[in-house]
Amino acid sequence: MKAVTANRLLDGEVVFWKSGQWVDRFGDAQLFDDHHAADVEAAVATGKGQPTIVVDVYPIDLIQSEGRWAPLSYRERIRALGPTNEPTHGKQAEGGDVVAALRQASGAARSTGRVDLIRRK
Amino acid sequence: MYQYDLIDREFLADRSAEFRGQVARRLSGELTEDQFKPLRLMNGLYLQLHAYMLRIAIPYGSLNPSQLRRLAEIARDYDKGYGHFTTRQNIQFNWIKLKDAPDILDKLAEVDLHAIQTSGNCIRNTTSDPYAGATAEEVDDPRVWCEVIRQWSTLHPEFSFLPRKFKIAITASAKDRTAAKVHDIGLLLRQGRDGRLGFEVIVGGGQGRTPYVGPTIKEFLPTDRLLSYLEAVLRVYNRHGRRDNIYKARIKILVAALGAEEFARQVEEEWAKIDPARADLPASELARIRAAFAKTPFETLPARSETFEVAKAGDAAFARFVRNNVRDHKKPGYAIVEISLKAQAQTPGDASADQLEVVADLAERYGLNDLRVTHAQNLVLPHVKLDDLPTVFAALQAANLATPNIDLVSDIIACPGLDYCALANARAIPIAQDIARQFADLDRAERVGELKIKISGCINACGHHHVAHIGILGVDKKGEEFYQLSLGGSGAEDASIGKILGPALPADRVATAVDQLVGAYLGIRADGERFLDTYRRVGLEPFKEAVYAQAD
Repeated sequence: MKAVTANRLLDGEVVFWKSGQWVDRFGDAQLFDDHHAADVEAAVATGKGQPTIVVDVYPIDLIQSEGRWAPLSYRERIRALGPTNEPTHGKQAEGGDVVAALRQASGAARSTGRVDLIRRK
Repeated sequence: MYQYDLIDREFLADRSAEFRGQVARRLSGELTEDQFKPLRLMNGLYLQLHAYMLRIAIPYGSLNPSQLRRLAEIARDYDKGYGHFTTRQNIQFNWIKLKDAPDILDKLAEVDLHAIQTSGNCIRNTTSDPYAGATAEEVDDPRVWCEVIRQWSTLHPEFSFLPRKFKIAITASAKDRTAAKVHDIGLLLRQGRDGRLGFEVIVGGGQGRTPYVGPTIKEFLPTDRLLSYLEAVLRVYNRHGRRDNIYKARIKILVAALGAEEFARQVEEEWAKIDPARADLPASELARIRAAFAKTPFETLPARSETFEVAKAGDAAFARFVRNNVRDHKKPGYAIVEISLKAQAQTPGDASADQLEVVADLAERYGLNDLRVTHAQNLVLPHVKLDDLPTVFAALQAANLATPNIDLVSDIIACPGLDYCALANARAIPIAQDIARQFADLDRAERVGELKIKISGCINACGHHHVAHIGILGVDKKGEEFYQLSLGGSGAEDASIGKILGPALPADRVATAVDQLVGAYLGIRADGERFLDTYRRVGLEPFKEAVYAQAD
């Protein structure tokens, strides 16, 4: 399973792709089945074609955690939650089941797309 | 302290207006991200994990109360109520919106602050001694020379697009509080036998993935030739630095490749071609800058303060604070006060807007309007009367700013790490908090004595792990956070690069491992030895044994 993420240009906020829109919560993100790779590519390409809306568009891998989907890499979980040293800052402040599932997730891998990001810097 | 003149102020206002235009063009799509990125970086604006991060220059770590209040205001209005002091005496805000950045730069410019050259391949903010102008150890006030470099290097047309970033440190005390030997250029101000002042010039130190303690390329550079000599060093670097490979682009790689002697020879050759009348600072301008720092209005006071002595004798907590956070001042009746930003559970280097305001008030009422930031991510009130110390201590205590742990095991340097930074491989902050918790007992921390722990979340080494007594580097091991420990580094006058202890440890083993290292040290230390001294005497083995023997 995959999702597509980016940062919003105007404020840097972490956003996720949802059927043609960018949404703030990971819980609202569109989830792509692994055999729908072309849809992921299309979403990334659309995002890259929106340079006044988002920057750094890339897909991330997901795993199951507590019956829900969560980003596989801890870097992406931190992006989806907020900094672990300030539990009331960032998206995690809202709480709820998705946030709890993300906090519990223990998958380990770099997200797809991330290596590419670092090379560009 | 140095006051901006009309030219400085107009320049800042222009620069801020220019950036406002650049942001507008980016938002409208007129500029692409690739075109805009170098422009925002030249104004200290990064895109991090959760938001934009704005790095604001604190020139040579020196601030006045109105500047600190303005930083508090920005923390409150544009961030989430806190700021983060960095290992280069700057401050970063973690939750900045691009659309707000021009307004923030305007507000900074109103109090003579800016974010220029806090990023990009240019000459960055000069690091200096946070005790400058206050310590009796110094042969001259290093801020004078930092200000000279600030004026010379700001938007210097020849040195705005160097092969890579460039950092200079200046210390005028034998005890180095600037990490000068691991800067691109370290300038150690010395008094010659004839009484004249000169710089020992160290070039090519650095951390990151290829750490070096810099070699001395000139033993004694007369101070009046500083700018022409810097010009020669930068010119040689600009010409031969490796622009083809970002990992080999710093001056340390060039100096190591050529050898210090050959590098020095090329600098001398270049220097000889430079006309001092054009390149060096006129004596009149130096006198003007020097006068700005000479005006600290000290009173003539007795060396002994009865109020201070009585408080120290009657209050054990105050006495402990004095032992660890208060240093001798050059003027009788004054003291230097360090404010630790490393309280239990605090993020190292973070301060809330309320805390910043408390410190600004104290500097105004009791500190001759002077404030400093240290590269160890703490604050300093450089000029406090002994008579006022008990009052200042009580005010700091009330704001959770009186942690008496300067240079002790819980005074940990940590970069923002993967909690904020887009480049990090692992978190640094929670590791620092774990270790601080492990050593929460202050009696024990004092028994352990000076122990500098520094944590970086990636090999770029913003957390100075290479020059820590115990260095901790976060690595990504098959997608999990692991931590590599190294021992025996120092960023001070006895600079050295730490040696790796053994295989990296998982996050939940790090604080225990530090405890085991400390246990081993306490078992074998000789009288008066710091952790670093014991390590240098006995080497890695006993420490390796302490951490890895039980683990197997």
